[in-house]
Amino acid sequence: MSAFREGGHFPDGTTLGVGAALVALPFLLPSVTLASELVVFAVATLSCTFLLGLVGLLSFGQGLFFGLGAYVSGVLLREHGLGTLPAVAAAAGFSFLAAGLLAFLAVRRQGVYFVMLTLAFAQMGYFAMLALKDVTGGENGLTGVPRPPLLAGAGTLSGPEAVYAFLAGLAFAAYLLVQRIGCSPFGSVLRAIRQNEARAEALGYDTRRFKIAAFALAGLLAGLAGAMHTVFLGFVPPNAIELEMSERLIIMAIIGGAGAPAGAFVGAGFYVLMADWLSTLWPRWLMLIGVLLIAIVLFLREGVWGGAMLLLARLRRARRRG
Amino acid sequence: MSGQVLVFQVLNGLGIGMIYFLLSVGLTMIFGLMRFVNFAHGALYLVAAYVAYVVSLLTGSMLWALLVGPLASALLAVAAERLLLRRTYSMPHEAQILVTFAVALIVQEVVILLFDPLAKNVPVPDFLSGIVFLGPFVYPAYRLAVVAVSAAVALLLWLALERTRFGAILRAGSESTEMVSLLGINVHRVFLGAFALGGALAGLAGALAAPLRGVEPFMGLEALGIAFVVVVVGGIGSFTGALLGGLLIGVVQSVMSSFWPEGARLMIYGAMALVLLARPAGLMGRA
Repeated sequence: MSAFREGGHFPDGTTLGVGAALVALPFLLPSVTLASELVVFAVATLSCTFLLGLVGLLSFGQGLFFGLGAYVSGVLLREHGLGTLPAVAAAAGFSFLAAGLLAFLAVRRQGVYFVMLTLAFAQMGYFAMLALKDVTGGENGLTGVPRPPLLAGAGTLSGPEAVYAFLAGLAFAAYLLVQRIGCSPFGSVLRAIRQNEARAEALGYDTRRFKIAAFALAGLLAGLAGAMHTVFLGFVPPNAIELEMSERLIIMAIIGGAGAPAGAFVGAGFYVLMADWLSTLWPRWLMLIGVLLIAIVLFLREGVWGGAMLLLARLRRARRRG
Repeated sequence: MSGQVLVFQVLNGLGIGMIYFLLSVGLTMIFGLMRFVNFAHGALYLVAAYVAYVVSLLTGSMLWALLVGPLASALLAVAAERLLLRRTYSMPHEAQILVTFAVALIVQEVVILLFDPLAKNVPVPDFLSGIVFLGPFVYPAYRLAVVAVSAAVALLLWLALERTRFGAILRAGSESTEMVSLLGINVHRVFLGAFALGGALAGLAGALAAPLRGVEPFMGLEALGIAFVVVVVGGIGSFTGALLGGLLIGVVQSVMSSFWPEGARLMIYGAMALVLLARPAGLMGRA
């Protein structure tokens, strides 16, 4: 049941599962803050999962759009006194436009050249952030970002529980959007591009325009996650826009499995919880992540979520036979 | 900025540029030969720099460091190719990128585990610690030695590529590996040789750079970024492109860094994006 690979239904069992998990998380995890961090990265990873799993595009630039969302929302909240909701929406919209613009250029190149271009864009974003230190705070980051009510005084985000509820709501909305796209006609074209772009083009689809739209959407998701990160932390750390952020999002997407949107939640959850538990026990736990990444690429192509779904399907078949 | 400073920065840039060339030439060679994008290339530079640090600490001799560092990188490259990377040749390039990226991550973490995340100084060898007078200009002897050593290596490499059998096979392989293997040449051994050679050269770059910039665990990632810029600007797969790209990036970065350091990096990655969009074959590549 890898929704991105074969298409699927909306809503289905995983929709319910993700919704239930989002409700249960703050009770299952040792702290609400950890749950908040998890959903922020789940949305960010969703942008990588969507691009890689549905369209077949590997982007080292998703950290750039995450960072753009983080900085735009930070500046709007700090300098312009916007409510939290408009600031988050504006940041996501800005990242959508920026990603669409860059995609307009980037889709001219394919394969390795596309990956290299996203990498160059990501590095330009980071060094532009350092160069514009009057706006971004440079290496110190953007400190003291307030957390105003959602809209014109209504909906105060007092306490970590309220923040989690807000972030989890956004994460669920992002999941619904991506799952819905996965089984829409638009999603079918994106799937066709991943399987064989030349053939999709021969069928009469302007594949470039579809790829631009998909990249812009992925930018929106990453930007949304960046803005959620700012709301969650109350400041913007410079590593929000580093190349390392792009790499982390790719790692999460691969570990979870890019075959279905739920993989993003599994991958981000796995990474964030590993980081929380292992970083105190063994600071070099990233070494294990490296080994796991190799193992997944070589032996478990669909990641943890995809592997689990495959196992489930096999068990079901065995039971029917037995 | 006075003319004197400008000349000094250009000279500095040429030295750094030669190191960038050594760093990048293996990456471009391996891509040209097997369309393989090696995200672990920066890790080879990192390992040699740390080996150079340890060797110069133990023996006090930079010459040993320059020998042992590249050797360690070549061994690492060979081991990685034999045990892991060759399994990914038949996979899509995304898989190769992810696996080599994971190798780079593991190497970086091992370095932090063995040492610590802090930057360390590597002393310049005694006999090169002075300055030389180049006409009216004063120039550190070590930087001049770096230029001399890397220019000699570049010349040897060029001779090896143009005049030896292995070089001919490498050049033929970058045209068509299939044809080469049809001619009865074991391409897998050629791939291994390319990894060993590329690893040793990246290692030499790391060992030479260690006294100039010190060592720290994240220098591999930084070097990988620079190597990509050099390779793309020069033209992926091109030896002369790597040389030209390395020198160009070295000089631009060095001159820019004296008046707008953040802008220097912004500019070189901007150049990378521009070349990819306007002329993906690079300056010296065949369009």
